[in-house]
Amino acid sequence: MADDETRGALESLLMSRSLGDRELMEASEAAPDYRILPDVTVLKIGGQSLIDRGRAAVYPLVEELVSIKRSHPILIGTGGGTRARHAYSLAAELGLPTGVLTDVGVAVAGQNATMLGHLMARHGVPVVGGSAMGALPLYLAECGAAIFSGMPPYDMWQRVPTEGVIPPYRTDAGCYLIAEVYGAKNMIFVKDEDGLYTANPKTNPDAELIREITVDELIAMDLPDLIIERPVLELMRRARHAKSVQIINGLRPGLISRALQGEHVGTIISAA
Amino acid sequence: MTKTPSDLSFATKDVPSALMRQTLLDRDLVRAVDRPVVRLLPWLNIVAIGGRSIIDRGRDALEPIVEVLRGELGTHRMLILTGAGIRGRHVLGVGLDLGLPTGVLAGLISTEAEQNGHLLAALLAEDGVSYLSHTTVAHQLSIHLAGAPAAVSNAFPPYELYELPPEIGKIPPHRSDTGAFLLADAYGAARTIYVKDVDGVMTHDPAGPGPGEPELIERISVDDLRAMDLPSLPIDSLVLELMTRAKHQKEIQIVNGLEPENIARALRGEPVGTIIHV
Repeated sequence: MADDETRGALESLLMSRSLGDRELMEASEAAPDYRILPDVTVLKIGGQSLIDRGRAAVYPLVEELVSIKRSHPILIGTGGGTRARHAYSLAAELGLPTGVLTDVGVAVAGQNATMLGHLMARHGVPVVGGSAMGALPLYLAECGAAIFSGMPPYDMWQRVPTEGVIPPYRTDAGCYLIAEVYGAKNMIFVKDEDGLYTANPKTNPDAELIREITVDELIAMDLPDLIIERPVLELMRRARHAKSVQIINGLRPGLISRALQGEHVGTIISAA
Repeated sequence: MTKTPSDLSFATKDVPSALMRQTLLDRDLVRAVDRPVVRLLPWLNIVAIGGRSIIDRGRDALEPIVEVLRGELGTHRMLILTGAGIRGRHVLGVGLDLGLPTGVLAGLISTEAEQNGHLLAALLAEDGVSYLSHTTVAHQLSIHLAGAPAAVSNAFPPYELYELPPEIGKIPPHRSDTGAFLLADAYGAARTIYVKDVDGVMTHDPAGPGPGEPELIERISVDDLRAMDLPSLPIDSLVLELMTRAKHQKEIQIVNGLEPENIARALRGEPVGTIIHV
């Protein structure tokens, strides 16, 4: 059987070659892709864009999340926001390396997860992280939602950027990687703009909304600023599951529910 | 236009900083906070022991290495990191067959590197050397190396579920060589020594075709090495890519651990094996 042959070839390469061997990497391509949590949607809730706005933005958001979690299981990742920016700026000024900044980022996104967790506690929604991720399926089955700190736990092992020390993989990347590894149904970034613009709409009045775009087109445009971390685009090119993401405006009530029902209400970025 | 009360109530509660209200993605704005990065542990020596190349060989290879390491305790402060080896390959094979994603595979293979670390640390326990978890290495390495001559940990980076998907296939790309390098660079370590079962980088593969006897390359730049486009290297090529961006680790050294005295010589700064530099 061809399947057995492929498997035999892969196993013999695994035992004999270096793990960076091209033939081995290509053979691993043939392995099946199993979606671990195929019904779940990962939602990333912005730190600066939403949580830093306090009650006015967060209470309605919590209400909406609670109303949809029974019909659509959701995994809620949190961003960092203004405190992360303060700490990054302080740490960079002190000459500290990217690894130290990463750790600070984890803590700030963790505070946002804690706050959201307390607001959603009465609805049974837990905050998870680290080894507690193992109990995720139970939480999702029991109450339809769980909250996690969006920052990837790379700690002192975070890759350094080409310039400067700001961690290149932050909460957008962390949430995206969770969607990818669990084979989630959707990845939705909830921010405070209607989607991706040709420039930062907060500082540039001529910025135009882009409703739909491919990763390759977006990389080719080489925009000076972006609403989503650049490394996410590169990750999307390599994704096996999360091949499209939607960016929506969390200040407009009802959009999260509509996006979960498959509606196009913000910007959809897809891997070509 | 005057702001409505609802606009005001939506206002972000900002902490003033040079990066306030930024997306952190505008290259020009972020440049404002660029400073030279300090070396946190300039006296640290990272010694990465290969899983497949050294530890899987068992007692014959490991006992002499442990003897040499023991002899260097007290002279050079070391963090000894271990790779995964053959059991890592096995668990990757099972996981791939089950259709599990790269992030899960990364956690599985990393466990094997950790086990190798526990074995090695046990052999040096009587000398005050212990195994440290990733969290301890990231946060308390300083006190551990102030109180002990060396420590052992897992060379894999703690990426696990958050491992980045590779360009081709599904094998986790951030493995022990890369983890050791990223950590060395973050700490601004004095040197990164990779202990393998070959003398270093050879001009061509001893087992493959090539003109005459392969020769050891003693010193080579990343660019020159990449230009040679050798079919295989004793370290992961991702390390070379990361070296070009590194803040401190502009040099790495590969030595043959089957002649363990090489490790002591490399710790003393001797140009043994192959040195790859930026």
